[in-house]
Amino acid sequence: MKKLCTVTLLVAAVWSISSATGARAQAGNAEGAQSYAKHCAICHGDHREGDLPGFPPLLDVSRQMNDQQIATLIQTGKGRMPAFPKLPQQELTALLRFLHSDDLSAAAQGSGGASNSAEAGRHLFQRNCAFCHGRDAAGGETGPDLTRSKLALADVNGDKIGEVVRNGRPEKKMPAFNFSVDEIHSIAAFIHYQQKKAAAHPGGRRGVDVSDLQTGNASAGKQYFFGAGGCSRCHSPTGDLAGIATRLEGLQLEERMLYPRDARSDVTVTLPSGEKISGVLAYRDEFTIGLRDNSGTYHSWPTSRVRYTVDTPAEAHVELFSKYTDEDIHNLMAYLQTLR
Amino acid sequence: MKFFARTLAIFAAATYFSVLAPSLPAQSLDPSAILHPAPDTWPTYHGDYSGRRHSALTQITPQNVGNLTLAWVFQTDQNAAIKSSPLLVDGILYFTVPDNIWAIDARSGHMLWHYNKPTEEGDHIGQRGVAMYKGWLYFLSPDGHLTCLNAKNGSVRWTVQVADVSKGYWTTMAPLVVRNHVIIGVSGDMDNLMGYLRSIDPETGETQWQWNSTPPAGTPNSTTGGMTWITGTYDPELNLLYWGTGNPTPVLNGKPRPGDDLYTCSIVALDPDTGKLAWGFSVSPHDTHDWDAVETPVLVDGDFHGKPHKMLMQASRNGYFFVLDRTNGKSLLTVPFGPVNWSLGVDKDGHPIPNPEKEPAPDGRLIAPDEGGLTNFRSPSFDPKTGLFIVDAHPSYSIYFAKPADGSYGWAGADYGLWGKGVIEAIDYQTGKIRWSHDVGSGGSGAGVLTTDSGLTFTGDAHGNVLALDTRTGKTLWHAGAGAPMYSSPISYELDGRQYIMTSSGGVLFAWALPEAYSKQSPAR
Repeated sequence: MKKLCTVTLLVAAVWSISSATGARAQAGNAEGAQSYAKHCAICHGDHREGDLPGFPPLLDVSRQMNDQQIATLIQTGKGRMPAFPKLPQQELTALLRFLHSDDLSAAAQGSGGASNSAEAGRHLFQRNCAFCHGRDAAGGETGPDLTRSKLALADVNGDKIGEVVRNGRPEKKMPAFNFSVDEIHSIAAFIHYQQKKAAAHPGGRRGVDVSDLQTGNASAGKQYFFGAGGCSRCHSPTGDLAGIATRLEGLQLEERMLYPRDARSDVTVTLPSGEKISGVLAYRDEFTIGLRDNSGTYHSWPTSRVRYTVDTPAEAHVELFSKYTDEDIHNLMAYLQTLR
Repeated sequence: MKFFARTLAIFAAATYFSVLAPSLPAQSLDPSAILHPAPDTWPTYHGDYSGRRHSALTQITPQNVGNLTLAWVFQTDQNAAIKSSPLLVDGILYFTVPDNIWAIDARSGHMLWHYNKPTEEGDHIGQRGVAMYKGWLYFLSPDGHLTCLNAKNGSVRWTVQVADVSKGYWTTMAPLVVRNHVIIGVSGDMDNLMGYLRSIDPETGETQWQWNSTPPAGTPNSTTGGMTWITGTYDPELNLLYWGTGNPTPVLNGKPRPGDDLYTCSIVALDPDTGKLAWGFSVSPHDTHDWDAVETPVLVDGDFHGKPHKMLMQASRNGYFFVLDRTNGKSLLTVPFGPVNWSLGVDKDGHPIPNPEKEPAPDGRLIAPDEGGLTNFRSPSFDPKTGLFIVDAHPSYSIYFAKPADGSYGWAGADYGLWGKGVIEAIDYQTGKIRWSHDVGSGGSGAGVLTTDSGLTFTGDAHGNVLALDTRTGKTLWHAGAGAPMYSSPISYELDGRQYIMTSSGGVLFAWALPEAYSKQSPAR
């Protein structure tokens, strides 16, 4: 309800301005907003909110100064504010018109489309997500860059992001969060806003492109695969790895090559009676061993009461970590990328 | 005999109440009491100034720990995991999650008051606890403010800004009180910011001094960073404060900040009255992997290779275990305590030598340990009887990337953990050899370590089990599933002749003790 009111007010505000200043102002707003985003937003904020004490908000600047005063300030600068003497007259006019308007959605268009919802999401994101995913959602400590995440890009209104946020990703140590539907929407809106912003500024983004991972030598990689690496003991380029490069690419392929996180382990439990039960390892700590049998049924036993053996083929990847050189990894990566 | 003891106890109580009535527990902590903490207190984040997290209590033993049971639990009903170490003063526990403080009765777990002030700004990654000075508590909120509250009811006395959240700082740590100084540290390595440690007047909130770990942002060819986000330690004889500093910024791109980047990733000794640097030791010269050296600088007095020394020990996030002479910061021992592949060895002064080939690169570098490090915020413990330094370690591998397009601000690169596990390791401080290790599960555990004089080690595994291990062998003697992993470090105290072990898992605080029948049998101390 509250959101509806805000939207209505905003629409009303935009309508009153555009009806007052006519169609020219509307067209001018795009140019002015772009100019603002380019020259002013870095200090005065994407939404003219400022950054006190150093950088004043400009939301009500037209109530404090007239156009001539603002224009002079822009052209000559003041204190730490730089001068913009070469701003073309047409752009300056558009910028002044933009500073007059209360139309924050225009500012948002200029800087990539932040809505009220995204703004609310920003706060939630900063508090709860930024440590791992970065304040700009482009990756931080531990967490991936969400502006390049396939899942986040495919998300519509939080349908995919929401699922991950609500359930967490325990295998990757991402905790689950109890957010309301509105909160999920706003976080998703913020992530989408950051995606647009990142796409508008190519080159400044963190992350790994497929092109970054092309420094290896495929034939040396092949040699390593069949030789020192011992990869061929478990894998075959015509068997399990046939066409792997068509299914995975770039960082995803490299991560999977180095350690397949979700690879399954098999376990055989021998009961005191001598009966053996096998299945997929479902749980193991010091005290409890659990498996899923081939009917999908979960069974568990105290480790003190049974004997068990676990077969974890992925352990071979762990053993390689201390043996690889970086060159081995790049070569192996080059070789796997030939398996199309 | 029993009768005699009881009579004596009654007599003692009578004397106490009649003669000492004015000094009845008053929800107050004289700063000098931190020098020799009483067994019924845990007056600072680490329990004392040494950071050893070793309890002298012996009621719970390797023989009887199998009977350990719940005394009570306290539910915060919050999503945030408890990462704080509670303070215990005059029978009342004070602990936190971001924006929240609880005061609860240590005997029953019932709540006395709850301070809850949501803040919009700042990273809500964790809150490690409060400090106490006389009747006042000191609490840092994510938005970079220090609040002083009345311990009796949680009412606010004053709030001062200690870090500018709009620049990218936030605050999480538990302040340290030394005499009339409240020492606070700051967080913030998402931006190129100067790190600092600040001393605040406990009465007025005014700044007494500030020590900057790095030059101001914008200084050419110079590093920023060196955040101070874990509580340090203090030697009253030398009157020196010991603190670990965080990573340099930009984080993964070392090019704009040539050299060792002092004093980031360092251990520093400061005068608590002036903030003047006595010495600094670089733990990770020119770090490019986010390996904060903020882990507890543990103070131990004892023999090193036959000669008595005042030592400082740190198991550092970069994978090395350091023993320093804390009078002058000179190295006694530097040795890895798990897989480490980023260095070319150790120089003559005990500093690891970073391998330039292992700096993050456009096509990736395989690095051990991962960004979380071989250990991290969780506290280690030193057991004086066995000479073991016990740490929750995290053997791990990862890939680190950085390219010019990643820029030179903030993170300036990307890194991805590949694999890791948790291992409780008992390090012989004289040699760095690992006497025993105890696996605690895939991924790793966030649990700190507590040792007790009776030979017990308390910690947790990756699955949410609370563990009691035999300090000599590392064998499990007791465990309980707590439903979520531990992200704090256990503490211990004694009240009414009963020893408690306190742990937290998720948003729940657990008080463990022997069944009351046991504590009644054994002498009070």
